[in-house]
Amino acid sequence: MSTLAAAAPAAPVQPVLLIFQPAMIAQFMVMFLMLLFVYTMTQRARAGAPVPPIRKLAGLEAVDEAIGRATEMGRPVHFSVGLGTVSDSATFAGWATLGYVAKMCAQYDTKLINTNRNYLVMSINEEIIRQAYLEAGRPDAFNPDDVRYLSGSQFGYATGVLGIFQREKPAANFMIGYFYAESLLFAEGGYLSGTIQIAGTTNTTQLAFFMAACDYTLLGEEIFAASAYLSKEPVLVGSVVGQDLGKILTFIVIVIGTILQNFQGKSNWLTSILKK
Amino acid sequence: MVRKDLPRVITTISALIVVFSAFTFIGNQMKLTATVDKWLQVSEATAFLIGAVNLTRIHGQNIQRQRSGYFNSIMLLICLWGFFALGLVNTSNGTIYRWIYDATLVHMEATMFSVICFYIASSAYRAFRIRTREATVLLVVATIVMLGNVPIGDVLWAQLPTIKDWILRVPNSAAMRGITIGIQIGGFATALRILLGLERAHMGGAGA
Repeated sequence: MSTLAAAAPAAPVQPVLLIFQPAMIAQFMVMFLMLLFVYTMTQRARAGAPVPPIRKLAGLEAVDEAIGRATEMGRPVHFSVGLGTVSDSATFAGWATLGYVAKMCAQYDTKLINTNRNYLVMSINEEIIRQAYLEAGRPDAFNPDDVRYLSGSQFGYATGVLGIFQREKPAANFMIGYFYAESLLFAEGGYLSGTIQIAGTTNTTQLAFFMAACDYTLLGEEIFAASAYLSKEPVLVGSVVGQDLGKILTFIVIVIGTILQNFQGKSNWLTSILKK
Repeated sequence: MVRKDLPRVITTISALIVVFSAFTFIGNQMKLTATVDKWLQVSEATAFLIGAVNLTRIHGQNIQRQRSGYFNSIMLLICLWGFFALGLVNTSNGTIYRWIYDATLVHMEATMFSVICFYIASSAYRAFRIRTREATVLLVVATIVMLGNVPIGDVLWAQLPTIKDWILRVPNSAAMRGITIGIQIGGFATALRILLGLERAHMGGAGA
């Protein structure tokens, strides 16, 4: 007690208004820069300014060919967005392709089977396909029974898909979304039933399986360009260019960071900025 | 108008809440992200019935029209609704419920998972066939990595494990990191497109 009484009174603490979460300022700046790039490029596209085209993506170029093959053979098309949920960006990329595939199938009068593991994703898939059939002017051709929920279990779902491959023999198989260990089961099962296969995922551990077993593979980020690539809408293409500007900036930061790390060590100015 | 714009407005507001919660001190203290997560959980729980109804409708039709293999549909519906009813009576921690789960589902899933090893062999055989320059590189690298991972590789040539480690640590890591960075930026840009209302594929329509 006496020690406490003898201690000098502490200076009053001034409250400081914290706007940003500590250690989140750099991340916020990165988000802001990306937003700026995407917004600027979409505005340029809207104003009719020239926007660099997206390079040819073999996997997306082959979409029409795969559906055409299924039409000629009179066999269905199968589409899966994988095991991802509604909060996965890969699922959104899958939806962009699904809309296009569904519209093509509606135009060619080709049966489209969509299998699902997540019921929330299934509801959205059903709506996307229904809308695509409506846009193609063939709402009567849409069959809700072709949008199927198979199982909530990963391998239960895989077994269901393999069964469909065996029984209904689709001529084209699209797998675009987030896939786990079932990726190879689908790809090999599809190969054995004679489908042309186009796959894409952001799960890097499964990419090798798709590369080995499928006819065309969209590597990682390529699936995010699908909506712009297939729709050819200038505003969406502009947003992909904005994304590429972000990639160039990241590349520059990596190069500068590598140089600084080698010459100044870990405590260089770039690292301290990025830690803020 | 409502069909297209309302989901877009809800999406943008939800995304802004998450951004506000992640970056600002006040938002973080209010735990807004947890609230949005709860909304998602409620939506998923509500949608559960959609899946069960879809299965029942499709397999019910199979049974009604006596399509080939319709007895499998009967079995599926018995399992689906029987297990559901058992869960209600016995709870998911009940002895009978756990026994059925452990004695059937676990083993069936393990069986399906094991099938992957055979499929790896058949897909690797196709991928390694020397048709192009890339396939040749793949074959050579894969042979080194496989031999470097097993004791016989070390016996054949002592340098094989060292080369294998270098392949995995340097060129493989570099390529994987490149792909990962691209995926993260692509995912981020997609999120921004959704936030700005540019990406509308999830609301129906072809492509965008």
